[in-house]
Amino acid sequence: MVKISRRTFLKASALAGLASSLPLIMNFGDFTKAAELLPVTRIPTMCNGCSSTCSKYVYIKNGRVWKVEGNPIDLKSSGRLCARGHGMAADVYGLGRVTQPMKRGDDNTFEPISWGQALEEIGDKLYKIIDEHGGNSVMWLGHGGKEHYASTFLDEIGSSNYVTHYATCFSSKTNVWDRMVGTTLNSDFDNANYMLFVGRNFAGGIIPGAMNRITKAKERGAKIVVVDPRYCELAIIADEWVPIRPGTDLAFFLGIAHTLISEKLFDRSFIANYVYGFEEFWSANKDFTADKAAEITGIPADKIREIARDMAHNAPKAFLDSGYHGLHAHYANSTQIAMLNVVVNALLGNMFKVGGLMPGASISLGHVETPLRETPEKGPRADGAGVEEEYPTVEPGRGIPQIVPDLIKKGRVKALFIYHYNPLRTAPDPEYQKGLKDAELVVSIPVDWNETSLHTAHYILPESYYLERTEPPKVVSGFIAHDNPQISLRRQAIKPVHNTLPLLDMLKGITAAAGYYNLYPFTVEDEIKASVKPLGISPHVLMETGCIEFPANVKPGFPIKDGKPAVNTFTGKIEFSIGAFKLYGSPGVATWVPPLVMPQGEDEFRLIHGKQPWHSHHITSNNPYLMAISDMYNGTWAWMNKGRAEKLGIKNGDLVTISSEKAVKTVNVKVTELLHPDCVWIPSAYGGFSERLKTAYQQGINYNDFIPARVEPLSGTVMGQEVVVKVSKGGIS
Amino acid sequence: MARFAMLIDASRCTGCNACRIACQMQWQLPPARYYNRLEHNEKGTYPNTKWEITPIQCMHCDNPPCRDVCPTGATYKRTDGLVLIDGKKCIGCKYCMVACPYGVRQINDDGIPEKCRFCAEYIIEGKMPPCVSTCMNEVRIFGDLDDPESKISKLMARKAVYQLLPEKGTRPRIFYVRK
Repeated sequence: MVKISRRTFLKASALAGLASSLPLIMNFGDFTKAAELLPVTRIPTMCNGCSSTCSKYVYIKNGRVWKVEGNPIDLKSSGRLCARGHGMAADVYGLGRVTQPMKRGDDNTFEPISWGQALEEIGDKLYKIIDEHGGNSVMWLGHGGKEHYASTFLDEIGSSNYVTHYATCFSSKTNVWDRMVGTTLNSDFDNANYMLFVGRNFAGGIIPGAMNRITKAKERGAKIVVVDPRYCELAIIADEWVPIRPGTDLAFFLGIAHTLISEKLFDRSFIANYVYGFEEFWSANKDFTADKAAEITGIPADKIREIARDMAHNAPKAFLDSGYHGLHAHYANSTQIAMLNVVVNALLGNMFKVGGLMPGASISLGHVETPLRETPEKGPRADGAGVEEEYPTVEPGRGIPQIVPDLIKKGRVKALFIYHYNPLRTAPDPEYQKGLKDAELVVSIPVDWNETSLHTAHYILPESYYLERTEPPKVVSGFIAHDNPQISLRRQAIKPVHNTLPLLDMLKGITAAAGYYNLYPFTVEDEIKASVKPLGISPHVLMETGCIEFPANVKPGFPIKDGKPAVNTFTGKIEFSIGAFKLYGSPGVATWVPPLVMPQGEDEFRLIHGKQPWHSHHITSNNPYLMAISDMYNGTWAWMNKGRAEKLGIKNGDLVTISSEKAVKTVNVKVTELLHPDCVWIPSAYGGFSERLKTAYQQGINYNDFIPARVEPLSGTVMGQEVVVKVSKGGIS
Repeated sequence: MARFAMLIDASRCTGCNACRIACQMQWQLPPARYYNRLEHNEKGTYPNTKWEITPIQCMHCDNPPCRDVCPTGATYKRTDGLVLIDGKKCIGCKYCMVACPYGVRQINDDGIPEKCRFCAEYIIEGKMPPCVSTCMNEVRIFGDLDDPESKISKLMARKAVYQLLPEKGTRPRIFYVRK
């Protein structure tokens, strides 16, 4: 490790911000006048209203963002954008943004500082921490994305502590699919004749391209069945809504699997040729009939059998969608749920088949070649993910974000970088999460004054907004089957409104100041050039189009190598039995695992949550446009089944008090026939408690308030819906 | 001469509100002002229920009551069917707001009761209104009924349609696909 003069670097990276003085909102007369006079430019870029990162065009007028449109080439947007895509574009001028680097003072208030001072002080402190405690005491905690910048830094200092938010969202899915199938597969909406969605609301957690395909499939006669405790927005266009007792989806899947096997409806040649562990699965679940599933789920056994038979009848052009957030982080049996998803689809023999589940088309991007560096050996992961004595089967690539305060308390984490992530609002138990502040160095890199930055950061380094920065291209993939690979790129559309920086520039500054010379010897432009080099296209073409599609490279058919099944598992087959689980003392195959808790009393409910179509992350709830929609449609209200509400004397619009061991909160209630009686449903975006985010502040409540920070041992997830709350009429007295 | 109209398949709407905000951005409206809205309707009792959403905006009526009550002629109907308002003539009396049975007018910063304009300046260039082009479920089809090759003409020929509040005699230019 060579320590160089920090000041040399910092001088070279002196940066200036540019503030705009034009108002965002012009009145109509002003607007038409302006429209007549000003040229409009259209810049292709990528959305950041959620993690789907649709390609879109930004229209710029007089240096200001005017409006956005979906890029029709892009798989994810298919030329169409959801409300967030529009709303979050306007947020570049939002009042919640951090406008320059901030340092927490002794009196707990923030003092604006220069970039030079910020990067130098952080680099200095980082140097001392690494010197004293070693590189493994540094953790990068992020939403996920831009892994390569973070990992370059972590590799250099010898830290294995890259932690994402995924355990709060979907890690049981990725953990299981990787082990059982060797990859994830995507629903072939374009060609399926029967689609089963369980706990997956594509019309709430929206991918416009997926919804466009689903509605088109319906138009050509495909059957759509939605199983969900709530009549979710996707159920509106479904042929059937089948309400299920929340927390029992695993039993439903077991009932489906039992029907397929016991009635010999499954694809026997697919199982014989491409599946390992079928017998083990069947002998463990022989007794789990549709009748047993009916008892647990509340879905009539005949309905379970009907769904199984209909799917088998339409197979292989039938699928159980592989799902996302809903079922893959929130139950004690989420890992088994993911396993059964693989089992049901494999029994249908739909994998690698048209109309079933297909791999997403991919293409290899190039990388900037940098001189090889000697890097220290890494220590064990602080969160214990993949560590033999701790959480051996949790994916180390994703980690366990919800327990970081404990890791700080134990002394495992001394310096914490929090990137584009707000665990105080989006991870369980905000009071507990406030413990993040106790690390020796806490640097938050947000765009807005989120709760985590406000309550825990020692330094806040505001990143330029997504419309203000250019980033290397990404391969477009996930959730939608497609034969043609695509790449898309985020391109800067306007000059930074405030004194902010892109992440790469921050990291160049911090690492140089900490003594790591020339760790990122490239620019974003270099990265773009290197990325597209193997593809035979010029960076210029990508910059001008934003999204490029390549010739199809996906063909149906099970992967075969040397005449043998060759998916990326130990046996090359789909594995119903997971060896790693057995190795560490768990059953290899999934069997019924009851939920941790069940509501019993007349005032008890399971608290569940989901995405509202016009909000994604908590960050969207500070957007005045999106919150105006919430205001108009009572979007912050909690949902309760009408029959249950009547018993408690609760009427539509009443204020109720919801309490668990962790929290007591008051909220208005929507009394509805569209919800299973056993649960209260709340939208996931609300409950802001950062005074600096005035639009979001104290709007609605958040499920994370009610749950402790727990870890599901196999996949590391938060089990966010394993909570029983009591509900009573009236506010807190 | 064009005869512009819109066909709405409400059964495809899943309530994402992209139409509302795409319109707000196009016309730079403040957050709480909107030219289209969604009406929600829950039917039945658990578990045999339905949730229906109906998008509503200015119907560009062929017999617009808002025009008929306007004392200054500020509200007028263009030959291609668009109902528009000339802000210079408007005296802000709000008669049009009261007369509209669909409740679609909203007072703007200049005191003028504005509403959906069918994106008058854009459609004559052949562009789609953003409420149409942004919709992931393709709920709205916009086009020229005088053009037999237009998508809307073809769909109107195939589908049974209805209009909102026909008893008011407004003869709306927005048609809804019958379920």
